[in-house]
Amino acid sequence: MKIKIFLFFLFGFIYINLTAQEQGRISWKAQEISFGDFVPEAEKSYKVKFFYKEEWIRNINASIPEGSFSLKEILDKVLTGTSVFYYADDRSNIILTLNFAIKDPMKHIDSEENKFIPSMDQGEAEDKGKTSDNMFVDVGNRADRNKPGSVALTGYITDRAKKQPVSGVTVYVLKESAGSISNEYGYYSITLPRGSHLIQYTFIGMKEKKISINLYGSGELNIEMNSMLIPIKETVISAEKNVMFQRFEVGMEKVNISSFKLLPSPMGEADIFKSVLLIPGVQSVGEGSSGFNVRGGSADQNLILLYGAPIYNASHFFGFFSAVNSEIIKDVTLYKGGIPARYGGRISSVMDIGSREGNRKEFAGKAGISPVTTQLMVEGPIIKDKLTYLLTGRTTYSNWVMHLFDNPSLKNSSASFYDLNGRVALDLNKNNKIDFSSYNSHDSFKFNSDTSYSYNNSIYALRWRHFFNSQFFSVFTVNNSTYNYDISSVENPEDAFLLSHKINSTGFKADFNWYQGRNEVNFGTDFSKYNVLPGSYLPEGDSSLVKPVTIEKEHAFETGAYIDDKFVVTDYFSINAGIRFSAYFTSGPKEVLVYEPSFPRSASTVIDTLNFASGDLYKTYGGPEFRVSLNFKVTSKSSLKINYNRTRQYIHLLTNSTSISPSDTWKLSDYYLKPEIGDQYAAGFYQDLLKGIEASVEIYYKKIQNAVDYKGGTKVVMNSTIEKDIVDVEGKSYGLELMLKKQEGRFLWSVGYTYSRALLKSLSDMSDEVINDGKWFPANYDKPNDLTITFNYLFSRRMSFSANYLWNTGRPITYPVATYSVGNHMLVYYSDRNKYRLPDYSRLDLALRYNGNLKSKRIAHPSWTFSIYNILGRENVYSVYFKQEGNVINGYKLSVFAQAIPSITYSFDF
Amino acid sequence: MKFYRSFIIFAIILSSSGCVTKFMPEIDESRELLVVEGLITDQPETNRIRLTKSMPLDKKATIKPIAGCIVSITDDLDNLWMLKDAGNGYYITDSTQFRGVAGRQYKLQIQSNGKIPNNYFYESLPMELKPVPPIDDLFYEKEIIEAETDERAAREGCTIYLNTRDYSGQCKYFRWEYTETWEVRVPYEIENKLCWATNKSSAIFIKNTGVLSENIVSRYPLNYISNETDRLEDKYSILVNQYSMNETEYEYWDKMQKISQQTGSLYDIIPASIQGNIYCVDDPSQKVLGFFSVSAKASRRIFIEDDFSGLVQLYNDCAISPPIPLGQPVPSLGKYVWIIVDGRMSIPPFIVYTDKKFCADCTTRGTKIKPAYWDEDKLNTK
Repeated sequence: MKIKIFLFFLFGFIYINLTAQEQGRISWKAQEISFGDFVPEAEKSYKVKFFYKEEWIRNINASIPEGSFSLKEILDKVLTGTSVFYYADDRSNIILTLNFAIKDPMKHIDSEENKFIPSMDQGEAEDKGKTSDNMFVDVGNRADRNKPGSVALTGYITDRAKKQPVSGVTVYVLKESAGSISNEYGYYSITLPRGSHLIQYTFIGMKEKKISINLYGSGELNIEMNSMLIPIKETVISAEKNVMFQRFEVGMEKVNISSFKLLPSPMGEADIFKSVLLIPGVQSVGEGSSGFNVRGGSADQNLILLYGAPIYNASHFFGFFSAVNSEIIKDVTLYKGGIPARYGGRISSVMDIGSREGNRKEFAGKAGISPVTTQLMVEGPIIKDKLTYLLTGRTTYSNWVMHLFDNPSLKNSSASFYDLNGRVALDLNKNNKIDFSSYNSHDSFKFNSDTSYSYNNSIYALRWRHFFNSQFFSVFTVNNSTYNYDISSVENPEDAFLLSHKINSTGFKADFNWYQGRNEVNFGTDFSKYNVLPGSYLPEGDSSLVKPVTIEKEHAFETGAYIDDKFVVTDYFSINAGIRFSAYFTSGPKEVLVYEPSFPRSASTVIDTLNFASGDLYKTYGGPEFRVSLNFKVTSKSSLKINYNRTRQYIHLLTNSTSISPSDTWKLSDYYLKPEIGDQYAAGFYQDLLKGIEASVEIYYKKIQNAVDYKGGTKVVMNSTIEKDIVDVEGKSYGLELMLKKQEGRFLWSVGYTYSRALLKSLSDMSDEVINDGKWFPANYDKPNDLTITFNYLFSRRMSFSANYLWNTGRPITYPVATYSVGNHMLVYYSDRNKYRLPDYSRLDLALRYNGNLKSKRIAHPSWTFSIYNILGRENVYSVYFKQEGNVINGYKLSVFAQAIPSITYSFDF
Repeated sequence: MKFYRSFIIFAIILSSSGCVTKFMPEIDESRELLVVEGLITDQPETNRIRLTKSMPLDKKATIKPIAGCIVSITDDLDNLWMLKDAGNGYYITDSTQFRGVAGRQYKLQIQSNGKIPNNYFYESLPMELKPVPPIDDLFYEKEIIEAETDERAAREGCTIYLNTRDYSGQCKYFRWEYTETWEVRVPYEIENKLCWATNKSSAIFIKNTGVLSENIVSRYPLNYISNETDRLEDKYSILVNQYSMNETEYEYWDKMQKISQQTGSLYDIIPASIQGNIYCVDDPSQKVLGFFSVSAKASRRIFIEDDFSGLVQLYNDCAISPPIPLGQPVPSLGKYVWIIVDGRMSIPPFIVYTDKKFCADCTTRGTKIKPAYWDEDKLNTK
């Protein structure tokens, strides 16, 4: 109680009883007026001032009987039966509230006569070191208090300092074993029986908040939460306490920005992909490879969403840097399985990068410098609390670094990239929020030759969030995403060429969320239009003899509609069932070759040509995709989840190398190339152990139909008839993922172990389309054993230390097993595909982060990150290859980071 | 591909920590498959087809020829030519009987003798012989490897380029092979002082002019000669054979070239065995390696006798240091140690020994038989 008195003192809210004003009775004539018209009259008569929002009282009519009334009497009359409550302070202010009443916590809560303002905004008190405080709040209309059944408590959770929504907050009622998580807009909804409840709001990096409520009926309770460490915003590895019971998705991982910023990285740059690789079930084929593999899926089966739009090439510099500046990231959600029905289009995973909005209160910024890059971020309000902006830019000065080396081939080379992000967000009013975001990235290289490479990504996205009411809202998104590359060579003027590839997609999406009692219903629709330039090969310069060739553009539409329901059946069982219908139409103009069906497809087996006119929808694919999760609470500390989902993928990245290469091209499903279909069955068991230690076990089995592989030596660039070179394969993968983690306190650690297999099998019986005699063979990214250990220790608020260790089986590789000569050429004959393996991979990285100053008044807050990548200096084998030297075939192994790599990053907030 | 290699180099240097080391993984299997190699041309010459077995990777390769098969060539006019077993796996055409003709399609047929399992019958796809234009030009250009400095002369090498064109448009796919020959002169007064060394190209040189608006091959770099050999020291000659190809053969070599250009990067094409044009008729699952080439052929030779600066002197470190004093026992003379300067008759007498055989005997690197064409260039110009 002392705490509360203290709080009241702090805020100068001294409660008074409204009876103090009862002396002031005013005579009224009987009349029927709108509340809006009543307010000015009452303000004049009673000498008070009303505070409220226009929309709360729009539909309230004041029917005033004849007589002399005190303000209290008249307000009680007018507002009874509405969900608007009032409170009068000692300064003649009348404050209206919607859905909850401000009550006196020191008196018995049934005492209706006494209304108090509790500290809704108790943040500064918390800054003084309190971890939580208790508040008493009435929610709902008191008149409903004896009605039967459960009601919904909803609201928004915002970060007090940044005035930004906080997603992933666990809202938990211990007594009821009920819980929920706030969504990306900070919105939460929890279904509870009427009565008194203690509600806990927890989020890592935020102070826990406990609020006692009297729940009379459905209502809204908006919460502001405070960062635990001010001003260090990024020091804690994310965790979701209690969340495991409440989460509906098996295989969902949420990575908080604060966790991955601490990870050691080879280039001294926080990297979202590196941190994703620490999640069990996520692997990459090698260091510096772009893309990642989720549960035995290829790298193009991951949908990476930024601002709700797909990114087609998510890395800079061949994967040594992620293409998204970490400064704009709020959090990253990776669905390895249990992909919600609102997502579609990729069969292995969805990685949704949640982006931040600008600071709503004041101008702020951050600058950082690392050995290879430099970056700047500025943010702030244009109109305070209404219109904000966030701008970031990042560039590299690797050209300069490269020219430092005394190596002529490097002096002739150049490599650079930049990326720019911008977002403007506008709160039109409480129910309408609009933001516009853009992303542009550019990479270019030239390596000691006259061949230069460049590629670009650009994304523009407009989003409108509309709230119909507190339980029903919608998001509309329009976006456009483009990826293109150009390769040009002027080495030989007659052969000088410019090779280009481009994919552009325009998407529209409408999503609706509806919270109703024990149900959370999501439904919506989406539509995408794709335009792909498979390749053009054009002469570069006047003397070039190159014959211009442009492969016919591809056009297609993809559309989907979905509905799913998260239904809490009992306190111990919930179900999330959804269905998504997706359909895909390829559109002309298009020339399709028809092949003799009994022979392998080749130039000599073409028997006919089909010509489709512009707009002809010449091939259609599609069908239903079921997504089901069952969630059983076994005990108060453990839960079991079972999940099935199907997804379809209509666009493919043609890649004939082990890793995605910057010259790989995107291809739409067409007359021959069918959409890939993925079915995943997964189950997980989650257990809370002592002292905040969580344990989880997940298993999965996945089947992939219509996957593709290629005939030996296939050229994927400028290939207009890829169907000739494709080998139809099917895939299956399965795995066991074990995770033990402690995510509370100063020591944070996690241990993850995965056993998994990813296998493919060729389906054709044409001799050059059979791989390994038609038996199952390991995919390039099949790495059965995978151990990941992370460790983080917070010495003080200024210093933290982190380490991670990785060990996994080497990737599969095909070795030559015989040699033969043709003419003077020594040629090699290869083993069965992926019959051998590289040696095991292991690596230990360390990082130390030091914050220079914590005084909040200082203009800039500097921080230093020292990291050492591969501190053991292990020569992990990146690849093994063979070269003919004279008449001998020699083998070589290559290690990319064969030594410990230290780096220092300096950054400062301002 | 060059780009990827450079990239890896870049990544390594940037991190100044990467490394490439020799590594021979343990491979516990080997496959003995039928290998067919052969070329028939439009020239009045003996064409050879060779049948061998594939060899294990790790051991010093010894060719395992297959004798006693019945090998024949047919064309699309139902002509049949039997090839003669010439031993060592070679089967040869009779140059008076067989000569390829442009526009014809040829098939190779092999009836196995049981040494390759089961008396299977093998046959190639029908291969069309495309005409080939003559080599327009074959020339070299000096390359400055390192520019001249105050202390040092420039280091020079050279690149040999080829130009060709076919306005008839019939030949779109070209393949080249070269044979280079050069004088090896040991700078000591020894018995085997002057020899001619020969080296055949082992890389795959192909070009598709179908992607160009004109059927022109311009400045195709065939061979780069660095300053670290003695090729440019005295006289050098290169003979280039230009072959026409049909599309099937081009695709084969193109894929081979891509697969053999592995650099260890993750963007290397995934290695896989490449199907040639020969199939086992009796058992289609039997894999057959190699390729039966059908080509028109054009040749051209050039000589290089020029002054190149900064060539590495191969014979600078011949003498054993410290010198073996006269009268001391010399270990295994003629086996590990050879005489390069015999000064026993001089005053005071001395002998210079070498432990490098090539310093004392040019036949380690070539033959003493002067090639018949060696002075052709002199004849033509005079």
